[in-house]
Amino acid sequence: MAKRGKNRLMVVEEERDLETIDINVNVGPQHPATHGVFRMVLTVSGEKVVDVVPHIGYMHRGAEKLSENADYRQALIFQDRTDYLAQFNCEMCYVMALEKLAGIEVPERAEYIRVILSELNRLTSHYMFAGAFGTDLGVYGTVYTYAFREREFIQEVFEEITGDRMMYGYFRPGGVVWDVPDNFKERVRAVCEKTRIGINDIERLVTGNEIFVARSRDIGVISGEDAIDYGLSGPMLRASGVPVDLRREEPYSIYDRFDFDIPVGERGDSYDRYLVRMEEMRQSLRIIEQALEQMPEGPILPEKLPRRLRLPPGEVYMRTENPRGEYGIYLVSKGGEKPYRLKIRSSCFCNLMALKKMTVGHYVADAVTILGSVDIVLGEVDR
Amino acid sequence: MSDIDEEKEDKLAGSAPTNGDVFKMLQEDHEAPVSPGTVADTFKEVLPDVTFASAQGALDVILMIAREDVPRVLRAAKDDPRLDFKYLRCLSGVDHMERGLEIVYQLYSYTHKHSVTLKVRLPQEDPHIASVTSIWRGADWHEREAAEMFGIVFEGHPNLVPLLLPDDMTDHHPLRKDNPLAQIEEWQGVRLGEDVVNVGHIPAGYEELAAKSAGDGEEGKE
Repeated sequence: MAKRGKNRLMVVEEERDLETIDINVNVGPQHPATHGVFRMVLTVSGEKVVDVVPHIGYMHRGAEKLSENADYRQALIFQDRTDYLAQFNCEMCYVMALEKLAGIEVPERAEYIRVILSELNRLTSHYMFAGAFGTDLGVYGTVYTYAFREREFIQEVFEEITGDRMMYGYFRPGGVVWDVPDNFKERVRAVCEKTRIGINDIERLVTGNEIFVARSRDIGVISGEDAIDYGLSGPMLRASGVPVDLRREEPYSIYDRFDFDIPVGERGDSYDRYLVRMEEMRQSLRIIEQALEQMPEGPILPEKLPRRLRLPPGEVYMRTENPRGEYGIYLVSKGGEKPYRLKIRSSCFCNLMALKKMTVGHYVADAVTILGSVDIVLGEVDR
Repeated sequence: MSDIDEEKEDKLAGSAPTNGDVFKMLQEDHEAPVSPGTVADTFKEVLPDVTFASAQGALDVILMIAREDVPRVLRAAKDDPRLDFKYLRCLSGVDHMERGLEIVYQLYSYTHKHSVTLKVRLPQEDPHIASVTSIWRGADWHEREAAEMFGIVFEGHPNLVPLLLPDDMTDHHPLRKDNPLAQIEEWQGVRLGEDVVNVGHIPAGYEELAAKSAGDGEEGKE
């Protein structure tokens, strides 16, 4: 007995001598939880994260420099390749920047086509988020496969219209490149019906799920003031309780004609970000249905459009509400056929800046949840 | 008159443009006048002793300030309740070659719903400017990007290391206009070439194959 007791005491003594040190854990650049080629170095003390250093730039392709060396028509293709999950939204921002500088009037029908496609693109992007976020939380496969099945219905519409699955290049300064097929309205209405069911399916699967809520409630909280200070935008900002949407704030295109709500979160945590995005999908459906009602017949490009677009000297900072937040094109023209400078203000580049603020103090497994809730697209972060 | 003539002579003699020169150039590049009652007037009201130049952009009002006023003006832009620009939308660099390097701040106020474009020009030889990371934390990565792409030094930035470019690539600034695309490809070629050789990705016999296929092509032409 006495001997055993002595041993136990010795163990305690040894434990007292042990030092605890912080360990650096490298996540990425090739890692399923990083949604692309993103790397972060987590400094952990036990299971808790004490520091995060994000490393980006693995997919930097110099889109801004390449755009300076291409003419305005050629530079459009880089917009498809920044946010490759919301291509129409990015194209929209770029062509609107050109139209603002060149003073081109867009025909009504083209505006409606653009808005419908952009909102459909928001749906596909948020479907992708829902699926990937489920995977990050450990619901591997279930949400992902359902979300992808639903996403595919919309993807097929895009394919029928543009002839491409990913890099559409369908918008043009002044309108769109060709008209939509005759059955466009029925086709989109049918897809909207399916999407409504699809959103409900996903919500029934995960929204009330105890494990899903436990893993994302109060994880990665950021307050409204901090969110504004870090320059967050889109669903990230709205989840923190700031009711700001550029479609309402500075209505561009024809968004002032539609009736829709801006969903806002209460706590600013990962779960709220998920809820805001799901509600946004329903609002997008509302916009699409109103747009289909109002969509007129008519031309899709203005009659007098120069074959080679030349812009007068000037500059514009055009911004649109993309699925991930504010997407901006800062275009400087000195006359001629090429942009003098084209800066892309990427929404998830800014949203990612707050990663450290959100992650420190949480468990390592929660770091993955938080990164998933930011919904990054590395093509847009790195450009 | 004589002063201006002397200045012109100085420029002809090849002396570097000074801070005041680039501010003048910045004003010269913007002609469209601003209508009264815009946010430009509010700025002048809040900071009466700062020299502003203003112009109308396609969407926003453009305000131009000198480099030494940057900390004061931007601090007031955020903190003064009449301006209340809590949101730094975007920060970009523009290379205007001999007319200086430009830094453009896009600001927006959620309370007043107004936006403004603030511009500063720096001489190419002396691209130093005060960092605004202490005003908006969201300026951090934007400034790092402008620093690596244009070689601008943001004084007071907590961690001014390359963001998108490789860590050791501090000698080239790709978005400067004196780095044409071909040159960038050359640097990349050198880099990639080294890597490929080190990692050993070139399969054995590749060179022979390449020579052979090149030969085939020539024969085909003949």
